[in-house]
Amino acid sequence: MSADASFFAWVSFIWQQNWPLFLRGAGNTIYIALTGTIIGFVVGVLIGVIRTIPIEHNTNLVKKVFLKIVDFVLLAYIEIFRGTPMMVQAMVLFYGTAIVFGVHLPLIAAGIFIVSINTGAYMAEIVRGGILSIDKGQFEAAHAIGMTHSQTMTSVILPQAIRNILPATSNEFVINIKDTAVLSIISISELFFMSKSAAGANFRYFETFLITCVVYFIMTFTVTRILRWIEIKLDGPSVYTIHGSQSVPEAQFRIVDGGQ
Amino acid sequence: MNRIIEVKHLSKNFGSNEVLRDINFSVSKGEVVCIIGASGSGKSTLLRCLNLLEHPTSGEILYHGQNILEHKMTTAVYRAKMGMVFQQFNLFNNLSVLDNCVVGQVKVLKKDKEAAKKTAMEYLELVGMSQFITAKPNQISGGQKQRVAIARALSMEPEALLFDEPTSALDPEMVGEVLKVMKTLANSGLTMLVVTHEMGFARDVANRVVFMDEGIIAEEDVPEVIFNNPKNERTRIFLKRILERDY
Repeated sequence: MSADASFFAWVSFIWQQNWPLFLRGAGNTIYIALTGTIIGFVVGVLIGVIRTIPIEHNTNLVKKVFLKIVDFVLLAYIEIFRGTPMMVQAMVLFYGTAIVFGVHLPLIAAGIFIVSINTGAYMAEIVRGGILSIDKGQFEAAHAIGMTHSQTMTSVILPQAIRNILPATSNEFVINIKDTAVLSIISISELFFMSKSAAGANFRYFETFLITCVVYFIMTFTVTRILRWIEIKLDGPSVYTIHGSQSVPEAQFRIVDGGQ
Repeated sequence: MNRIIEVKHLSKNFGSNEVLRDINFSVSKGEVVCIIGASGSGKSTLLRCLNLLEHPTSGEILYHGQNILEHKMTTAVYRAKMGMVFQQFNLFNNLSVLDNCVVGQVKVLKKDKEAAKKTAMEYLELVGMSQFITAKPNQISGGQKQRVAIARALSMEPEALLFDEPTSALDPEMVGEVLKVMKTLANSGLTMLVVTHEMGFARDVANRVVFMDEGIIAEEDVPEVIFNNPKNERTRIFLKRILERDY
């Protein structure tokens, strides 16, 4: 390949030469981002539920104190991990465990761990917002028929809250796909890291990273489409069936609702 | 007389605001009691105290003679026995009409799903909503929502049903369908405690009417006396104002 070959020739050459690198990098990126987002989501939901446990008049003192301490610890976690760059956390965690504890974390596992705790910190607040967005009346109605906090959450509140926070969750997922790039700092072989080695082989940074851009975009765009499809699925049908009387069970017809 | 609830010296403060002061009254099995009074007189707060959605500042609430404010009985068990119907319906928006009536039976009463569905269908039939079991709350009208909310409360087979202004958030044309259901329930012998501005309903259906004024029970009597010959001057003024609205 001569240095003065055309731009497109270079792009095509770099792709042909390095596509296994790009694909492996993209695979690792999506793997870390997906796993991290799912774990972070679960962490966020748990924290959101714990932080909204009501303290009532008849809550005993031990439980009250315990809830306060838990709340403080969770708040500290949220503030610390939202308040420091993921790149720095990656350095501290990876080299910290190696130097202080003598443990060498497997790279991909370290990457997933860092993305998860970061996402967890953000998701905790997103979930809390989602829970607060459900009107108080539904909590009261659930309590009025004798449901406990956890029953209310799992049967009534979370299904609605999670639907409401799906757009924010897909935001987090997209951000995670892009932000795994910072994990290259601890030599995790995700897409950005692989692109750097591909670029280094020819000293063609512009052409190489243009390919990287396209690969990132294909990943994020696919993910946002899939999540949008899930949102529509969760919304369910906008029509319902009128059930005929017991005597004429076949008397069913459909009507379209006026709202929405 | 079989007293289900007895309230003794009940008070409730929100900060320095005394909403209820030394309330004493009781509800017996099969009674329909209507609570009337101006906005801010403490009617809703009293009802919410009876379901422990608000915790009284002082006083006792006796359920079959047992003080529920002490820890004898868990709040959830007691609440399941006191059904509540809200002004804003408060249906579970993620669940279908049928599931709204099933979820409490399965989660709280630990019934199996088929039995719960059967019970729910009976009560949905009673309120005239059995055709709409697959609809979601945001697909039905206000009056229909309130009828489902009544069926949801009934599905728990409570000992008494508390109504907190059940028709106040409804369009005028839908008030009738809800009151009709409530009248049917009253005639069937259900114990009901109804906070309402529907004076016609209170007069026709209630066994007893409680008039509340500034956090106290100002007068309590059979509807004939309250509406035709009230003893308390405040009752007279309130009823005059509400029955002879002029513009």
